[in-house]
Amino acid sequence: MRWHGVGWRAGAGVVALGLIAWAAFEIWAAPPVTQPIQFPHKTHAGDLSLPCTTCHERAEKDAVAGRPPTALCLSCHAGGDATPEIKKVQAFEGGGEIPWKRVWRLPPHVYFPHRTHVVAAKVTCQTCHGPMETLDRPPARPLKTLAMDDCIACHEKRTGRAERPAGPVAVVAARALSTDCNACHR
Amino acid sequence: MALWGMVIDLDRCTGCQACVMACKAENNVPAVGPKEAARGRIISWMHVLREESEERTRFLPRPCLQCDDPPCTKVCPVYATYRNPEGIVAQIHARCIGCRFCMAACPYNAKYFNWLRYQKEGPGQNPDVSVRPKGVVEKCTFCHHRLQKARERARAEGRDLVAGDYVTACAEACPTRAITFGDLLDEGSEVARLARSPRAFRLGEELGTRPKVFYLAEMEGHRRV
Repeated sequence: MRWHGVGWRAGAGVVALGLIAWAAFEIWAAPPVTQPIQFPHKTHAGDLSLPCTTCHERAEKDAVAGRPPTALCLSCHAGGDATPEIKKVQAFEGGGEIPWKRVWRLPPHVYFPHRTHVVAAKVTCQTCHGPMETLDRPPARPLKTLAMDDCIACHEKRTGRAERPAGPVAVVAARALSTDCNACHR
Repeated sequence: MALWGMVIDLDRCTGCQACVMACKAENNVPAVGPKEAARGRIISWMHVLREESEERTRFLPRPCLQCDDPPCTKVCPVYATYRNPEGIVAQIHARCIGCRFCMAACPYNAKYFNWLRYQKEGPGQNPDVSVRPKGVVEKCTFCHHRLQKARERARAEGRDLVAGDYVTACAEACPTRAITFGDLLDEGSEVARLARSPRAFRLGEELGTRPKVFYLAEMEGHRRV
């Protein structure tokens, strides 16, 4: 009888924990993002092999990559026959920007300059953003969850581990690839 | 490798508080409100100390003095505050557990605690500086986000950082140019020249903290009657 009682309670506990976990996920996990236009990265970056910076041009010029301006879409998609999705783009021809929603977000206490990583370090976009060129619709969530470990791992790998312990801290921070907290945190 | 430092000329300082306001705007330093202020919880990374006598009023702007041998970093149990190789005493808010040991250790009262969540992220704030959450210690960082940006720009342009690329907000705002900022190791720089001046002194020199904020003492001839 006693064992039977414990089993029943344990079962209820498991169910309750499951419910709590599910509720926590629903509350704290980022809600899925629905974009105004079902942009296929596969067609552009995959089939046409356009470099990412063709449209995400600010990634090479600024710290923040931003979203491509509508005029850039229209420079290719201005006229001719169009699919329903392209027609949605053309509807913005009169002015105004497509209200793209942000998917990738770093915590505000992190400074990540795209320009340094794309232009100077020549890190491929896929390193952080995942295989975007295989998607035929916009992602509802980031393809990769980035943690500080990912940043540190790359910074250490690229400098070469053998070099890392050598020298005082001053030498470590003088390098372009710094693992100093202050280099990224703000 | 640079060693960032500051020289504040007390003869030039008029106590106008432009540096205080520039710092608050630049670094999203919260206004804590009257209730909290009455409890002594005002946050002001740059603070103008005042000494009044019958003869005259003297001012002393006090940012974090960025000690070369900082007492605050030695007591931090989580490495949230440390002396960066370029001499900046960093405060990593995401790492801080709010134990306030560093505040107790700082002989200059340059560190401040967020007793409550004083502000939310919103328009009007500097996007380059994070908004501190409740329960962390904050302090003057020598506007190190400006260094991050300046370095990023220099790197993209394929050059080294030059003097003037990186200046703190307080130094930029000072109308009498009392605050000079720059690299102390660069012999030719204005800040290194002034730091060697016979008028130069540091706060609490006897403590051995070796601050990198130097003050230029007032001259006798300056005395107002």
